[in-house]
Amino acid sequence: MDTARILVADDDREIAGAIEKLLVREGYEVIKAFNGMEALDALVSNKVQLIILDIMMPKLDGLSTMMKIRDSMNIPIILLSAKSEDTDKILGLSMGADDYVTKPFNPQELIARVRSQLRRYLLLGDKDSVSSATKLVVGGLCLDAEKAELTVDGEPVKLTAKEFKILEFLMRNAGCVFSAEQIYERVWQETAYSVENTVMVHIRRIREKIEINPKEPKYLKVVWGIGYKIEKI
Amino acid sequence: MVIKLRRFSRSKITKFIAFTLAVLSLTAAMGYLIYLDNSDIKMETIFVKEYSKSETFLYRDLSRAIRDVSNHFINDTDSIYPEPKYLYYITDGVKIKHNESLADILEHKDYLYMYKNQQWEYGENTYKNVQSYVDDNYTLYLVFPEEYMMQMQSQWEEDRAWFLPYVVLMLVSAVLALLCIIFLIGVTGRSADDKEVHLNSYVDRIYSDIQLIAMLFTLYMWLSGLSDVLRSTYITNSRVLSMEHYYVLIMTGILTFAGSTICGVLFLSLVRKIKAKRLVKHSAIYACLSAISRFIRSFFDDSRFEHFPLTKSLNRRQVIFTVASAGMVFLSLFFLVVTRSFLVGLLPVFAEGAIIYWYFYENRKTFDEINLGFQESLQEQMKSERMKVDLITNVSHDLKTPLTSIISYVDLLSKEELPESARDYVNILADKSGRLKNIVSDLFDLAKSTSGNLPLDMENLDLRKLIEQTLGDMEDEIERSEIRIKTRLTETPVYIYSDGKKLYRVFQNIIGNALKYSLQGTRVFIEMDMDDKSVNVTVKNTASYDMDFTAEEVLQRFTRGDESRTTEGSGLGLSIAESFTWACGGRFKVEIDGDQFKVKLEWPVVQV
Repeated sequence: MDTARILVADDDREIAGAIEKLLVREGYEVIKAFNGMEALDALVSNKVQLIILDIMMPKLDGLSTMMKIRDSMNIPIILLSAKSEDTDKILGLSMGADDYVTKPFNPQELIARVRSQLRRYLLLGDKDSVSSATKLVVGGLCLDAEKAELTVDGEPVKLTAKEFKILEFLMRNAGCVFSAEQIYERVWQETAYSVENTVMVHIRRIREKIEINPKEPKYLKVVWGIGYKIEKI
Repeated sequence: MVIKLRRFSRSKITKFIAFTLAVLSLTAAMGYLIYLDNSDIKMETIFVKEYSKSETFLYRDLSRAIRDVSNHFINDTDSIYPEPKYLYYITDGVKIKHNESLADILEHKDYLYMYKNQQWEYGENTYKNVQSYVDDNYTLYLVFPEEYMMQMQSQWEEDRAWFLPYVVLMLVSAVLALLCIIFLIGVTGRSADDKEVHLNSYVDRIYSDIQLIAMLFTLYMWLSGLSDVLRSTYITNSRVLSMEHYYVLIMTGILTFAGSTICGVLFLSLVRKIKAKRLVKHSAIYACLSAISRFIRSFFDDSRFEHFPLTKSLNRRQVIFTVASAGMVFLSLFFLVVTRSFLVGLLPVFAEGAIIYWYFYENRKTFDEINLGFQESLQEQMKSERMKVDLITNVSHDLKTPLTSIISYVDLLSKEELPESARDYVNILADKSGRLKNIVSDLFDLAKSTSGNLPLDMENLDLRKLIEQTLGDMEDEIERSEIRIKTRLTETPVYIYSDGKKLYRVFQNIIGNALKYSLQGTRVFIEMDMDDKSVNVTVKNTASYDMDFTAEEVLQRFTRGDESRTTEGSGLGLSIAESFTWACGGRFKVEIDGDQFKVKLEWPVVQV
């Protein structure tokens, strides 16, 4: 893998510096910008593989900057913001961001997300199109039912048979919510009786394997009091 | 001594005895009166000692003799009653009739009665209607024989001797009754302990005018009942008691007893009210009048609009409008009736038109002002609401930004080559900055929630399932804590309308709290109960430390058991759980019972 070049845009110089150092330590090349305009200028003169963009910036805020970038580029963008509401996240993601990280962030988590986005962008960018009928793809998740293989952003992940079946079932019906009973009856092929805990524990284990931050899952979500679903991305 | 006496005289028993005594003596006096009235003896025996001066003699002997003699004189009948053998001499100047010579008659001066020149010369205070029997020109002499008079006199005295004790008894009873009544008037309403007048018996709650009417009615019934009994019964006057006597006496007794008891109770109640100066105030008429006056005054009362000048003026105007309109209607009718002219009657109608115009015109102005003020206050409120949200967001941002730097640089630092001691410090910094991150995040969740700015995603969800999911999600934590959780959930799904993600946070915090602060080896109980309208969830655990705070304090202060303040967590868990629960349409209550720590949650059930 060539060293990827990452643009970090944050008006807080210390934060930008910290992110730079974190990423450099991981072997990435970093360009810094301190507002939206600088970020756009930097993009003109540099080839960049990923952008980390703070939302609250002077001159041109992160969301507007992102919209300008999206006009011409398809590179992954990770939004960075102190706003932690679901609505803010949904807004950011719907406007074209690939990920959303709230401040204060865990440095390791940020790095994991950067890595994940880059892997998908650099390695899988073209492979997605050759997916066969047996392959289920949701975001960075790629499940091959025939080979019983799962990759997350290209990295193979080992699942148990039950975990695999659950994930397959949910990915096949991405976006739909299923109750524990429905999942149990499909996967275990038995009558479901008092299975909430069993299913929930499996879901949690799957989440720990496929999510960067299992506490704030991106793919496998619990719809509290109703059921479970794979987010359709 | 005085106090003792007062205590005695004002005790309930004394009052009761006095009352009973009064009623009984009154009944006895009445009984004696009826008995004596119906005996063969005239009351007169007591007052008049000599028979010859008594009315009995006048009516029974003298007037009969006069009637007899004049009858005999006019009709020439021989029928003169044989007893008593009185002597007479009668003449009209022409005719004379006598059974003794005039000279002999005039010798008996003792019991001589003489009518001459249209007046009585002896015994002139006697029979006034003598003219109807004797003509004006008559001269009449009557002499009663001494023997007869002596006999009557001794009989008279004998009767008197029999009669007197009964009279004395009657009087004593009557006086006793009177004394008891006076005593009762004095002590009624007073108690031994204070100087207040107490109105507390059931009778006192009746309005005083109704009491008065009831008392007078009872009195009337009592007396008319008595006279009915007396009139409807035929009694031969005798001192020996017959069946009729018994009947009359018993009826009198019953009537008097009942009547005087009822009258007495009511009368004493009235006396109490007079003493307490509540007689008038506690009457039905007064109550009616004051209710009416309150009702009328309530129209004119604008004290409730004290701080609202606009609505106050509206109210005033409304009153003026109503009164003026009513006045105009009255005037119109009055003019019509007095002048019998339709045109004159129409005049107040024009005035009314002016009043209506004024009313609407002025009101519209006031309404505009009110609307303006309302809009202003609404905008003000929205502005302050926006400011609140902005404040939270800005403070949040300003806290989070430096924190981000801290965490990032601590992380960078931890990757550097450091001496052993410096590495320890960095670890502490990493730990504390992590905790600070949690606290800041919790603090803003709580701030948003308590200020009513928590975005909610409400939907119908199964609470039972949510609890099971939460427990499944927390399984690792539960296993690590070595505290078992015992659940008793409902058999069927329980649907509530709420925000699932927030409720997960609620249960996560409550259960996490229970795990953290439970005594080793004890269990945490999660129980769920449901009825038609609501579902209750109780989370109980046995605290591992001395809970020296109240249920309110747990939620109010930034509380955690003091010894555990230094460990991870923000200490806001329960407060967030409470605030989120209320925001999500539920109720939240903490109870502390000894070492038992209970969180009680309640939601209305949705019928699906």
